[in-house]
Amino acid sequence: MAKGIVIYPDKCTGCRTCELTCSFTKNDIFNPKDSAIAVLPYDEVGLQVPMTCLQCEDPHCMTVCTVNAITKNEKTGVVTVDDEKCIGCKMCVSACPFGNMTYSSRLKKVLKCDLCKGIPQCVKECPTDALQFKDLDGPLHKRKNIGDLFSDVFGEVSK
Amino acid sequence: MLINIDGKMCKGHAGETLMEVANRNNIDIPSLCYKKGFEGLGRCRLCLVEVKEGKRKKIVSACVYPIKDGIEVITSTDEIIKMRKDIILLLLLRSPENDYIKELAEEYGVKSPKKYKDQKNDDCILCGLCVEACEKLGTNAISFVYRGITKKVSTPFDDPSKDCIGCGSCAEVCPTNAIKLREINGTRTIWNRSFDLIQCTVCGNYYTTAESLKYVEEKLDYEEDHICERCKRKAMGSKFKESFQNIY
Repeated sequence: MAKGIVIYPDKCTGCRTCELTCSFTKNDIFNPKDSAIAVLPYDEVGLQVPMTCLQCEDPHCMTVCTVNAITKNEKTGVVTVDDEKCIGCKMCVSACPFGNMTYSSRLKKVLKCDLCKGIPQCVKECPTDALQFKDLDGPLHKRKNIGDLFSDVFGEVSK
Repeated sequence: MLINIDGKMCKGHAGETLMEVANRNNIDIPSLCYKKGFEGLGRCRLCLVEVKEGKRKKIVSACVYPIKDGIEVITSTDEIIKMRKDIILLLLLRSPENDYIKELAEEYGVKSPKKYKDQKNDDCILCGLCVEACEKLGTNAISFVYRGITKKVSTPFDDPSKDCIGCGSCAEVCPTNAIKLREINGTRTIWNRSFDLIQCTVCGNYYTTAESLKYVEEKLDYEEDHICERCKRKAMGSKFKESFQNIY
């Protein structure tokens, strides 16, 4: 059963604990720039939107990768990058339609969420449950689960 | 197939190299030119190990040696360390100013004798990882040119290459940081060619070359808008915002 991070922008307070947790678990540093999750502030409407990799059904990043460094696990649905195989051509960064992939030239690697091998640390540390790790069984269920609130957004994801 | 590396029994299958098996079992073998996913190049020769096959023993390069059943491998003996020191000495004479080589030499306690000096002082150690990376990408813009002491990596006739897309993979994979990629005022210069970088239509920042974007478009069969990854993320975030602000 595929599980994924479900984002609830209405619950997010913008504390950015997720960003720090991510950069610390992945890169041993407290730096939001080295994080695979980013909180986008919309102060005019009082909303904070955490954005991270959506683990697409048919990932564009995987299609453009010529060295097969990006793979999708069929069971868990997680799209992972093998940093050792990556040659740093940054094509995946241009290919991601959501901009959820960044390249750090300092770390010489791509920053992308891989759900921390099944236990996402950002979800664990989120104080307000704005990030939740839930079962998303199949594309249909995925849409039903989250799409009630913003069907237009997830219509695009499944495209 | 079972092999013994430094006393640890490791599983492997036919056709795998010693380096692949060792990496999978977290056994460290030093190397400069090995990269996972690439075929072993066997150029830097730092990955020398001793292999015992029955009664015979021999020194082989781990990155190109296909494993055989029942072999015993020792990754570090006095003899191997001495050989590695000799190789590092030669690398140090070739690239005396290179930080990576200097660090390696310090780790092994190698000092270069003053009487030998290479006039060229080249950072490139001719490992060919950049050539392999360019080939994997399908661009084939660079290759080895000339032979012997004049051998080097370059584009055909040292001219700006038509095939180069300016992605910078060659510079990323280089173990000694010998390839220079410069980015000044919206132009990226690499291998004697200048690329005009594309400006993001939203924020105006320069972010990639037109050739790279074309490469992505061809692969995906999809026309890309000229928007950088940060603005794409913001656009996605705004959609979330819009759908949520209507709720309240």
